[in-house]
Amino acid sequence: MKTISDVDPPTPGTAPASIPTQVRSDHRGSWIPTWGMVSTRLMELRKRRGLMIALIAVNIGIPVVFLAVRLVSHAVDPKSYGAAGGYSIFTSLVTGFMYIFGFIVAAVVGCTAGSVDLTEGMFRHLVITGRSRLALYLARIPAGLAIVIAMVAIGYTIVCAVCVFAAPTQLNYDGVVVPQGLSRPALDNWAVTHPDEVICNFNYNGPNPPPNVPCGNGNGPSGPTPVVKTPQGTIVPVHVTRAQIRAFAVTMANQNYSDYRATFLVPSTSLMIDVGLWIALEATIGFTVGLGLASLMGQRTVPVILLIVLELILTPLFSRHIIPHLVNLERGIVGVAMVHIEPGGLPTPFGGGGPGGGGGGPGGLRLIPESTLAASLVIAAWIVFWTAVGAWRMRTRDA
Amino acid sequence: MTGSGVRPLGAERNNRMSTVLLSDAVDGRAADGQWAVETHGLIKRFGENVAVNDVELLVPRGCAFGYLGPNGAGKTTLIRVLLGLTHADAGTMFLLGHAVPRHRDVALARVGAIVDEPRFHGHLTGRQNLQILAAAREPAAEGRIAPALERVGILHRADDKVSKYSMGMRQRLGVAACLLGDPQLLILDEPMNGLDPAGMLDMRDMIKSLVSEGRTVVLSSHLLDEVERTCDAVAIVDRGTVIRQGPIAQLLAGSSFEVQVECSDPDRALGLLEGTSFGVHVQVRPDGLAISLPEHTERDAIAEINRVLVEGGIAVYRLQHIQASLEQWFLSVTSRLGASE
Repeated sequence: MKTISDVDPPTPGTAPASIPTQVRSDHRGSWIPTWGMVSTRLMELRKRRGLMIALIAVNIGIPVVFLAVRLVSHAVDPKSYGAAGGYSIFTSLVTGFMYIFGFIVAAVVGCTAGSVDLTEGMFRHLVITGRSRLALYLARIPAGLAIVIAMVAIGYTIVCAVCVFAAPTQLNYDGVVVPQGLSRPALDNWAVTHPDEVICNFNYNGPNPPPNVPCGNGNGPSGPTPVVKTPQGTIVPVHVTRAQIRAFAVTMANQNYSDYRATFLVPSTSLMIDVGLWIALEATIGFTVGLGLASLMGQRTVPVILLIVLELILTPLFSRHIIPHLVNLERGIVGVAMVHIEPGGLPTPFGGGGPGGGGGGPGGLRLIPESTLAASLVIAAWIVFWTAVGAWRMRTRDA
Repeated sequence: MTGSGVRPLGAERNNRMSTVLLSDAVDGRAADGQWAVETHGLIKRFGENVAVNDVELLVPRGCAFGYLGPNGAGKTTLIRVLLGLTHADAGTMFLLGHAVPRHRDVALARVGAIVDEPRFHGHLTGRQNLQILAAAREPAAEGRIAPALERVGILHRADDKVSKYSMGMRQRLGVAACLLGDPQLLILDEPMNGLDPAGMLDMRDMIKSLVSEGRTVVLSSHLLDEVERTCDAVAIVDRGTVIRQGPIAQLLAGSSFEVQVECSDPDRALGLLEGTSFGVHVQVRPDGLAISLPEHTERDAIAEINRVLVEGGIAVYRLQHIQASLEQWFLSVTSRLGASE
């Protein structure tokens, strides 16, 4: 066989000298991504029109539209429509929408960032540059989070602003205008002066109500008739003295005090900060898990579906239904752990009851018990594990 | 090389290779050595299928080198192994004198490559795609984007989305991506795919101009005519194994060739030539004789043929040496291999 060493090689041309010092010192083998890699990766994600529309719609668009409709409705007919903002709107919007769907769109961004280089053929070009594959992977994290967190922050800031500046001027508790920030004795005193409102509107959580306590707002066929609201909600006509009415109003006010104390006109600054960090963490988890899972699977569709199932089906299911033999597995679900570190004063996500700080408040279903430390460790483990899995697959995958 | 399962460079291997190169192998070898690509005993398996089978390849610097083979011969797999896109199962390899994959970061810093069909982010412009790739290279690569786009002739479309590019334009963008690293070595896998005749001509000229700048271009292709026009040297690969390699002229010089003779009496000439010991195969054609001479026949045989005919009283009007084309040679080599099995 004639080989190239048997014949004269072509005369070399004026080949460039050996690898320039600049290349040798550009840390191409380092696992740390350069700023340029992060910024161009950010550009690549930012230019995805459909993805950005979804991200903006969920984090900004829908909350803004919801609040705008309330603002307009309240401006047009303030008696029929309540204020656009306020504490209750804030908590409902955050836990009922931004928390859950913020996770999902962040997961979609993560899955996109983790798979498009492969599916669109750019991964090969990037590997050929000689740049560390780990650096190529890690560059996606700050780039993706810069987009996701920015969107969450913008939407959340708008929600906070509306909830603070368009809050009701009077505290409406169980349909009754009550002064805000009363102490327990002060609320008792207020109940003495407003017994009918208390008896007819506040929740009664005790045993059967004492007989003969009227509700002065009862409307019988022949005009106002003293009635009482039973635990079953039926209105029963009775005949009692005013002293009995006042005494029972004080009893009911006492029963509702803890609930009243957690009701505000506007969310406090500390609550807004805590909740902001909480939903930002949720979005971060969604992004990093999506990134790792999509990098592992090399595609976007299936990981997105899996994460939607996790957030909308598995997490609500396992956060409230204790399966004795699988309780530790249930505690290991990141969504369950996130509910446990929920800032106090928020209703539990996934349709829980009133304020409970993650534990499920009055009327809410009980969550699987889990310490804050354990919840924090679960969350950290999810982020680290999926980042490591994605990075490993990126390093070992054939390009 | 210390890659997983890759056997170290052994002294027992490749005695026919340059002993000077092997003696300073691995870390101590000069980055500006003689060979742009050097592989020894390279093996890549996919299950039972051996896609790259004990490949010994030496690509000189500063030339256009064709890597030829039929479809499925393992051309692209070898390129993927060289570039670290997939791992080798055994063997050693060097790019620009640097052992890979151990020093792939340094080696690939001055390598540009297109593997398979070049694909990019369709929602980005050509320029933006190159910005992403430049960011993964050294800082100076950013400044090479516009010149690279201009060189491949798509600067005017640089700000259009890649999804609107034709196949030929994507091929050009792929070449532009290769140029971002100011490469000493370009590895182009089927670069003519999707190009129209004018585009192929442009690509050919570009490859020649790159070589004239002292760069090495490795061209993987099954388009033998294009390779013959473009390359200085070739390696023929079949079923994962390099079966021939060397400068085209020297490879073809050793191949069989044909002599066409226009003469006064072809039938009598046939009888005269069959009586000689040249080992020729002669066919009578309407315009004369077609004489096939075996491999490694000296050119003096042509003069001898002429002498026999003239001395036999045949009037010789024309005597033409027809050298086999690369395509003919390739087919004869590969078909012979197939027949031997």
